[in-house]
Amino acid sequence: MSRPVFLLGAGAHPWGKWPDAPQVQLALHALRAALGDAGLGWRDVQGLVAASSRFEGGMGWGLHANEIVQLVAEQGIACVNVGGACAAGAIAFSTAHAMIASGQYDVVAAVGAERMPKGFIPRPPGSQDDIGDEDYLRWVTMGATNPAYWAIEARRRMHDHGTRPETFARAAVLMRSNAAGNPYARFRQPSTVAEVLASPLVADPLHLLEICPVSDGAAAVILVSHEIARRCGGRPVEVAGCAIASGAFGDPARRIPTISATVRPGVTHTSEVAGAVERAMSIAGIGPADVDVLEMADNTAWHLLAWPELFGMHAPGESDHLLETGKLAIGAGRLAINPSGGFLSFGEATTAQALMQVCEIAWQIRGEATGRQVPDARVGMTAVLGLGANGGSVILKR
Amino acid sequence: MPAAVSVVAGLFEEGPGGLRLLATRCTSCDTLYFPRRPTCRNPACETKAVEDAQLPRDGTIHSFTIQRYQPPAMFRIDDWKPYAIGVVDLGAGVQVMGILEGVAFDELAIGMPVRVTGRTLYRDPEGLDVRTFAFVPGGSEAA
Ligand SMILES: [Zn+2]
Repeated sequence: MSRPVFLLGAGAHPWGKWPDAPQVQLALHALRAALGDAGLGWRDVQGLVAASSRFEGGMGWGLHANEIVQLVAEQGIACVNVGGACAAGAIAFSTAHAMIASGQYDVVAAVGAERMPKGFIPRPPGSQDDIGDEDYLRWVTMGATNPAYWAIEARRRMHDHGTRPETFARAAVLMRSNAAGNPYARFRQPSTVAEVLASPLVADPLHLLEICPVSDGAAAVILVSHEIARRCGGRPVEVAGCAIASGAFGDPARRIPTISATVRPGVTHTSEVAGAVERAMSIAGIGPADVDVLEMADNTAWHLLAWPELFGMHAPGESDHLLETGKLAIGAGRLAINPSGGFLSFGEATTAQALMQVCEIAWQIRGEATGRQVPDARVGMTAVLGLGANGGSVILKR
Repeated sequence: MPAAVSVVAGLFEEGPGGLRLLATRCTSCDTLYFPRRPTCRNPACETKAVEDAQLPRDGTIHSFTIQRYQPPAMFRIDDWKPYAIGVVDLGAGVQVMGILEGVAFDELAIGMPVRVTGRTLYRDPEGLDVRTFAFVPGGSEAA
């Protein structure tokens, strides 16, 4: 048996490059903001779930929750540290949610904080250099970069749906346009289709401004039971559904870093994310048409076209037309996509990104997203993908 | 011809008949895996016993891209310049990524027939040619 869970606080540190702020400082900033938003203090927190980074902090073992409580609140609370690469924030959310839904806890915080290394992400220590390690294989046999995987999907979309280079560029322009109103976004200058197409081709058909860079940032949420939500007042938002999933056998997606796919007919593309979304919608008792605002992982412009189709919000191939006729802009159509500006305007701070998505949806549902508010947003959804075929989705509703 | 070595052991074999990608076949559900794997990940498959197999040589381009930026140093190649990478559908439910060559960038097309071949990436300090697999246009002679 489970009980309802409410998001009572959301907080974040703006995205950017912060060489002078250690990762844990970004995390504490986000947690302080989330606790302030909830009207709670550290003494009220009974559990902390951290999305573990492999780049910094966590005592070298991914113990980011422990590191945080040892700095600010050594009070015997449950510390949970979860992996999941770029989906770790969604897994942290889902874990915190389960801790409250189970009845064991009434106030649990989830946090993700990241400072990304410069340039290409280095391989972790202890990797094997043999055919058992696909990351090793993709580098030494063909040098396939992450943008190459996404570009191969984008090229296939051009073949299947007639997507034009200008349409990919327009998706990137939309993200900048949305980000202009978001103080948490890193890249807020408006762009044009011509500028995007004039940026260097990284991997055809994708240009530099159609691919997300990396950033530093942190985000946190405070989840509570119904009793606490009622007692504290504040502005609780109900968690209508949340789910995590892994990939399905036969998925045709170009899954980084694999160099081959075993493809079976009828299996959903990017099944880890589509599966999480489907499960979250089922728990929430809603369908794709009920979602007013979607915060999704736009690692590239291609994702912005493909994913809403994958989730059933647009028919296959329909995104291009909706985008080109302005229907995906805030307030212009039935679904707003990434009013925050998305990964393209944030740059990805891997383990923090999914919690930033949840914060944005919370602000949207409460009507607090000044400068980028989706009018009358009642149902909001997040969708994120992480290495290892990890998918996560959270649905908040008014 | 100088002595040659594969860039990674156990991925492919080169012989007089050309290059073969080394795979695993599940003896109960027939699924092919590349590279070789110790078991079968089909959730419907109970036994999961596997045997060595080879992938088909011929396929068609499922999609492709041109890498315009030099990858990180783990990818060693002499005389680097922008190059094509594609996903090739080899039939039998297997799609393999690899370097595409022997064709101008503007002639690459989805659906183009290709066959697997070997190519030298670089010559190491001992004078050995370090080889990888790649795909070139056309069906194989053996087909
Ligand atoms: Zn099997």
